[in-house]
Amino acid sequence: MTDFASLLAALDEADVEFIVVGGFAATAHGSAAVTVDLDVVYARTPENIVRLTQALEPLDPYLRGAPPGLPFRFDVATVERGLNFTLRTLAGDLDLLGEATGSGTFDALLPHSERREVFGREILIVGLEMLIRLKRAAGRPKDLERIAELETIAEERAD
Amino acid sequence: MDQPWQLMKISLAPDPVIEAYKRDVDRTLIRENLKLTIDERVARMINALRLAEALRRSRGPGR
Repeated sequence: MTDFASLLAALDEADVEFIVVGGFAATAHGSAAVTVDLDVVYARTPENIVRLTQALEPLDPYLRGAPPGLPFRFDVATVERGLNFTLRTLAGDLDLLGEATGSGTFDALLPHSERREVFGREILIVGLEMLIRLKRAAGRPKDLERIAELETIAEERAD
Repeated sequence: MDQPWQLMKISLAPDPVIEAYKRDVDRTLIRENLKLTIDERVARMINALRLAEALRRSRGPGR
């Protein structure tokens, strides 16, 4: 089971620039649904990629669902060559997004994010409206139920 | 090149399919969740996840 506190601590303590999106962000906004992984959008600056790889190294990240034994190393070169990574770590499943669907880069999402306290840390979480936009942009049938719930949360907040 | 405006182009106008799903959303549960702090919401979700994991394990392998 994913240890959300440990994953967030690893990123936060290394000063990684990231924004929490996905199911965990939905939970923070009031969703009652359960999520099994942590999704974050990370800044693609060279400095941040160094911090990101150093932060996750102790957690032994590996490509989720890939057969064991692949010559995969989660290092600066790998992150620079790639963009989005679905990882299994010693602290659970982590999705690292250089860009969420719809050009959702760190810089694009930053003005639409909120710094909120989670596990005693100030963490950037994407705002509810932008989270709905991200889910709509993804266009996955499995997200329809979640979008309906998030839009209901927005309606309840507005009342 | 980043095009941060792309996301803002995505409409938030009511979608008939999503509106249909909304009929099944438990507003009472949402109102209860909105009274909680973020930490409390996360703790509740993790408890539900632990329960689901325990149930899955109790079924044994291969099920």
